[in-house]
Amino acid sequence: MAETLSRPQNPREWLALVLVWGAAGLVTAVFCWLLGDIVWHGLSHVSWTFLTAPPENAGRRGGIGPILVSTSLILGVCLSVSLPIGIGTAVLLAEFTSNHSLFGRMTRRSLDVLAGVPSIVFGLFGNAFFCKTLGLGFSILSGGLTLACMVLPILIRSTEEGFRAVPTSYRLSAAALGLSRTTTLVHLLLPAAVPGLLVGLVLGVGRAIAETAALIFTSGYVDRMPESLLDSGRALSIHIFDLSMNVSGGDANAYASALVLVIMLLAINGTVSWLAIYGLHRKIVAA
Amino acid sequence: MYQFMCFSRWKACASLASFLIVASLGIPGTGAAQTTTVEKLSGKLVITGASTLAPLIGEIGKRFESLYPKARVDVQTGGSSRGVADVLQGLADIGMVSRAMKDEEKDLHAFPVARDGVGIILHKENCVQALTDEQVVAIYTGKIANWKDVGGKDAPITVVTKAEGRSTLEVFLHYLKLKNTDVKAQVVIGDNEQGVKTVAGNRHAIGYVSIGTAEYDTSQGVPIKLLSVGGVAASTETVKNGTFPISRPLHIVTRTPPVGLTKAFIEYAQSKAVHDIIKQQYFVPLVD
Repeated sequence: MAETLSRPQNPREWLALVLVWGAAGLVTAVFCWLLGDIVWHGLSHVSWTFLTAPPENAGRRGGIGPILVSTSLILGVCLSVSLPIGIGTAVLLAEFTSNHSLFGRMTRRSLDVLAGVPSIVFGLFGNAFFCKTLGLGFSILSGGLTLACMVLPILIRSTEEGFRAVPTSYRLSAAALGLSRTTTLVHLLLPAAVPGLLVGLVLGVGRAIAETAALIFTSGYVDRMPESLLDSGRALSIHIFDLSMNVSGGDANAYASALVLVIMLLAINGTVSWLAIYGLHRKIVAA
Repeated sequence: MYQFMCFSRWKACASLASFLIVASLGIPGTGAAQTTTVEKLSGKLVITGASTLAPLIGEIGKRFESLYPKARVDVQTGGSSRGVADVLQGLADIGMVSRAMKDEEKDLHAFPVARDGVGIILHKENCVQALTDEQVVAIYTGKIANWKDVGGKDAPITVVTKAEGRSTLEVFLHYLKLKNTDVKAQVVIGDNEQGVKTVAGNRHAIGYVSIGTAEYDTSQGVPIKLLSVGGVAASTETVKNGTFPISRPLHIVTRTPPVGLTKAFIEYAQSKAVHDIIKQQYFVPLVD
């Protein structure tokens, strides 16, 4: 790109150039500072023992073994519920309803409203509905389902955008070849819509794994190794919050846990993107 | 967890009946899943309430579990008011309340486990050494807004207070005879450690937190200092001997007189065997 742009001609262009670079530099600097701070304070405490041992003395000593397991289980429940529902709804909105129909507009509007609802509201809803009404109590299942409710709007809207980004010519060609709608959907549209799905998934996982407010009243505070999905289990984000805000002397382990959380997020995003691109999207690109 | 229960004669029928009732109401984890024999305790205790107490009760629960391997103690957090509400609704077996019981809560059964003092903290570099109660009231109601009016530098005071529903707030306001609506604060915080961090990060701030937390942080070099109140130094020592005026009992509460596992846990939490845990969590054991 750089070769195609000519050098700035006058002071106004120079100013614009400086501003744009400055803005980008600022964003990068903030990110590097944040990451650097976490790595600097946390790295020396992260070890294999820290990752596997149970917390001791309210988390000041010991590790985060059971908390890592609980976090993974909560995220697992969340994704296994939200992915099928999310993709299904996105398909309905993008492929089976017209852009301007009342149903489509109402659904999209309510999803957009839901996507902006503060997480504590989802937490209170999850506590009232999953924990009390459905009787799941403080459990990993309640927490995962609450997160699924929270992640769904984001997931649906970006997957839908993914479907809309697929050129209409694909659908017309498939119809001309006599492919059924289901075949077109599974073998053509879904792989082609993967980039949109990925955006939703990355945003959704990011929001879910960083969540404290929605989880403290649903999956709970218990830091024991969970034995089933009906056990209460503390998520990593709640552990970090508790160590830094409620437990004096918990800062060192809070930093180490935050570092683990960041690494976990990057690892999950990396794996999911790799799977989706090489498993689905390549089909269509190679074709 | 039910398959681990050691049913014995009568209790089998009783527990089963109550289990069915509770299961049909869709409320798991309440008192029903408990059974006692002379030497063995099993089942699950759900404890909710004050975040101040949650780490302490969590640690006591872990030691209790190691003594009775078939018992499970699940500690949840969310504030004293929540602890009371959950116990009344039957969602929790035991509630944690980090203050004295209120009149409308008198029908709950309350068991004190420890004490905690609430101390006023300033940044270490603030040259103000002492404040009278009247000055503290004036600062918290916004009548004094500059440190120079109480002998400090010419700088605006940042008033830090706790969010509504927090027991530290209630204890503090009760001592100063203020209403929450009288308080004019710049910063509203939640947990103790957050209060310490806010004051440590702002040279002109004033706040109030649990004395145990503040003492620990001071010993770790966090730049805050505790002010004496009414001429009494703020320390766990003066809280223990009862001379420090702003202190609160830490309670665990039940709706009905405790039996079985609940009773065993409460007796354990009040015993001398947990005094080391109480000190470890920077609270003051009750003198017995």
